[in-house]
Amino acid sequence: MGFFSRLLNGQMIFERMETRILVGIVMFVATMILIGWVAINEGARMAAFDRQFAARSIERGAAMFSTYCSTCHGNDGRGIGGKAPGLNNPALFGHDFIPEVNGPRNALIAERTTLENEANDGENPPTDERRAEIDARVNEINTQIADLEQQALPFISQAQDAMVRGYDPYRPSRLANVRWGSSVFNYVYSTLVHGRPVSSGYWPDPMPNWAQQSGGPLRDDQLRDITNFILNWNRDFTIEDLVSVQQFAVEPCDPLACGGGGVETVGNDVAAIMEQFPSVTGDPNRGQALYNNSALPARGTVLGCTGCHTGGLQAPDLAGTWTRVLNERLPALPEYASGEEYLVNSIVRPNDYIVPTYTAGLMPNNFGERLSLQDLADIVVYLMSQDQ
Amino acid sequence: MLRRYPWCLLPWDQLALWAVTIGASMVEASPPPIVGQTLNLLLRGGPDIGANGLLRFYLLHVLAVPAILFVFLGVHYYKVVIHGFSLPPQKENIGEDTAKRVPLDKRVYYIPEILTSEIMWIAVTTFVLVVLSIWFFHAPLENHADSQVTPLGTTAPWYFLWIQGALKLGDKVFWGIIFPTLIIILLMVWPYVDTQVSRRYAHRRLAITIGCLFVSIMTILSYMGLSEYGVTTSADTEVLHDAVREPAYGYIGFIRPVPFDQLVPGMYSTEQIRIEREVNPADFQLDFAAFNTEIDENGQADGIIEQLQLQYLSMTDVAFRPVPSDAPELYRALEEYYELLESERQELRNGWGAIIITETQPNLVRVDAVVLWEEVLIERGRVALDENGNAIPRFYRVSEDGTPLTDETGKPIIVDAPEPLLDASGNPVLDESGQPRMLTIPVERVNSQYIYLHRNAEYFFLPGGG
Repeated sequence: MGFFSRLLNGQMIFERMETRILVGIVMFVATMILIGWVAINEGARMAAFDRQFAARSIERGAAMFSTYCSTCHGNDGRGIGGKAPGLNNPALFGHDFIPEVNGPRNALIAERTTLENEANDGENPPTDERRAEIDARVNEINTQIADLEQQALPFISQAQDAMVRGYDPYRPSRLANVRWGSSVFNYVYSTLVHGRPVSSGYWPDPMPNWAQQSGGPLRDDQLRDITNFILNWNRDFTIEDLVSVQQFAVEPCDPLACGGGGVETVGNDVAAIMEQFPSVTGDPNRGQALYNNSALPARGTVLGCTGCHTGGLQAPDLAGTWTRVLNERLPALPEYASGEEYLVNSIVRPNDYIVPTYTAGLMPNNFGERLSLQDLADIVVYLMSQDQ
Repeated sequence: MLRRYPWCLLPWDQLALWAVTIGASMVEASPPPIVGQTLNLLLRGGPDIGANGLLRFYLLHVLAVPAILFVFLGVHYYKVVIHGFSLPPQKENIGEDTAKRVPLDKRVYYIPEILTSEIMWIAVTTFVLVVLSIWFFHAPLENHADSQVTPLGTTAPWYFLWIQGALKLGDKVFWGIIFPTLIIILLMVWPYVDTQVSRRYAHRRLAITIGCLFVSIMTILSYMGLSEYGVTTSADTEVLHDAVREPAYGYIGFIRPVPFDQLVPGMYSTEQIRIEREVNPADFQLDFAAFNTEIDENGQADGIIEQLQLQYLSMTDVAFRPVPSDAPELYRALEEYYELLESERQELRNGWGAIIITETQPNLVRVDAVVLWEEVLIERGRVALDENGNAIPRFYRVSEDGTPLTDETGKPIIVDAPEPLLDASGNPVLDESGQPRMLTIPVERVNSQYIYLHRNAEYFFLPGGG
């Protein structure tokens, strides 16, 4: 009888019990052999899954980075001047371009600090003999440090642009500078979780808190995806990588101690600025340098105008600014007495008037606290030269 | 079904979340609203399924449902012991109840007959399952469940597809709640309705016919539950989804399995395939260059740049190039893209697609799938056709110098027929090349989706999938 007729008749497929036992044993042994074979390859299989898992995590992180992070950190992760630091950045990963200088230099500085502490110890002052010894050694150290810094000069001359944007070749590791005691992963991840409150003096917007656990929008696994994506920028960095970073991290400090504190900034009272305006002469070359992040304003970080004012999609394009001011803005906006006033107003109070089709609130409104009168005049003169 | 359903959420990936959401939404439809809302809240542990809902489904799976099953199993075995087994229908005289009265020579004993048989079948099915799971089926987890991201084409688990199919027939209270309840009641009362004495197949033609009909209806309803049936999404969304979709339900976006080394950064267009297939191959270089010039002039290049800017990708100019000869899989994906667009020719009038690959990190590329087309009239989600069976293109009305006209609310004016510029005597005005000057321009549309692909991601087509 065939298989189906046996089935329909409610009979056993294998009538003989011995056959059933044999089939059962064969199948069981075959199953065990198969599972054993799979087990032998399990290590490689899981390793492949791990690789895929990490890769797909980076893919998802990349998608979220472009949605949530790129508007401030740049889609290429190089940061936007004056807005947010670069993450595709040798400093984040602690890449040291001059280890042959920094290694001995740091050791010498540590030794000098110890000696100086010993010399200045009021409770247990050194003998005169010892003091002379210390002075001799400190002088020797200073000479050695100067020699080492001579060796660093070729690199420093190449890294000028990066240094304007906040890079310190002798302190190349962001994590070491803030004395972070854990991994880069945890540094990025915890920054994502909690965000970072900032002083409006050096960043226009704070880093938001992204984690759901701290009241933000993203789940833990999503934060890990973004972190994995950022860590995937780690590589053997070149000097080109370094100088293409648009903004380096800023270490909070007392403005008086860090310089620029004594500088008077223009504030955001347009009428008052316009009264003082005739007293300064603008330099279009310095204005251009300020505009392109290759010079620092009187106070704070680079301005980062080019972060948005390129191509005219996010913000009006640089080319033709002055033509548009004269031909389009002034006729439509009688409240501005002159083109200069319109430009000044647009820089220090950017949300007073938004050019149609652009979005309000994108441009930082803290330039009044970052620019001196001279800075402002330089930029305005540079913009007035854009009369294509 | 009750046992399987709460399990469905536990993988906690997109498939799980959305399959369960459909079921939970049906519970929400129970009338009156206060009952539906309360049941929904009890089931999901919140307005939406989150960590609380997951815990509830876990406890349902490991405690509540097994407890219920335990009771049912108890009743089942109690009944078996009380009533015993009958002989097979053919061996029984009609009307005779052989349960507990099977003659000694015809009895089959549990030990050893049934036991050896059952153990043998357990061994055979385990072997088959092991073979299938090693070589034929792959069950990867999808992306982490995300209630903010609804995948296209979500369906219930297969054993609930029939309810989802029924839901497409109309009111969700009737088809989602009353209809399935009626089916379950019908199954429960059926033994009391079908009281035919003979158990032989030949005597039970009506019952067997009804049974077959029932299975057919369930199969048809299950088919209707698939996203292929009765769900209309705009063609551009469908095409883009087919290009980049995450692996799910055995399908994967056709761009994903392209090996990383063949994802050469650059811009590629389905026009390459069209030119190769429709135009003399000898003229390919010229025609392709002409295509690049044409999109620069007609503004489609700018349209792509603007669209990509919205998707956070900055680029300054658009220049397509042919797929490199050492990237056959990329070429295959482009061909598939072209054929998909061809199949949507009516809705995506003059449509063409682009695959734009940019390097994000040394081992990571971004792939943008872009589709450009001219809008046609859509009515109730379908392409409206004129009397000749052609789609009806739509046009912006423009002034004589080509600037788009707007109505009093500031919206552009859209018309369904081209209008030539007429001179005083009613004749069309021609431009330098002899073409009539138009007061209308086609409504150009562009849409795109992007994914990132990593060297190690290793997506692959599933056997039997697409």
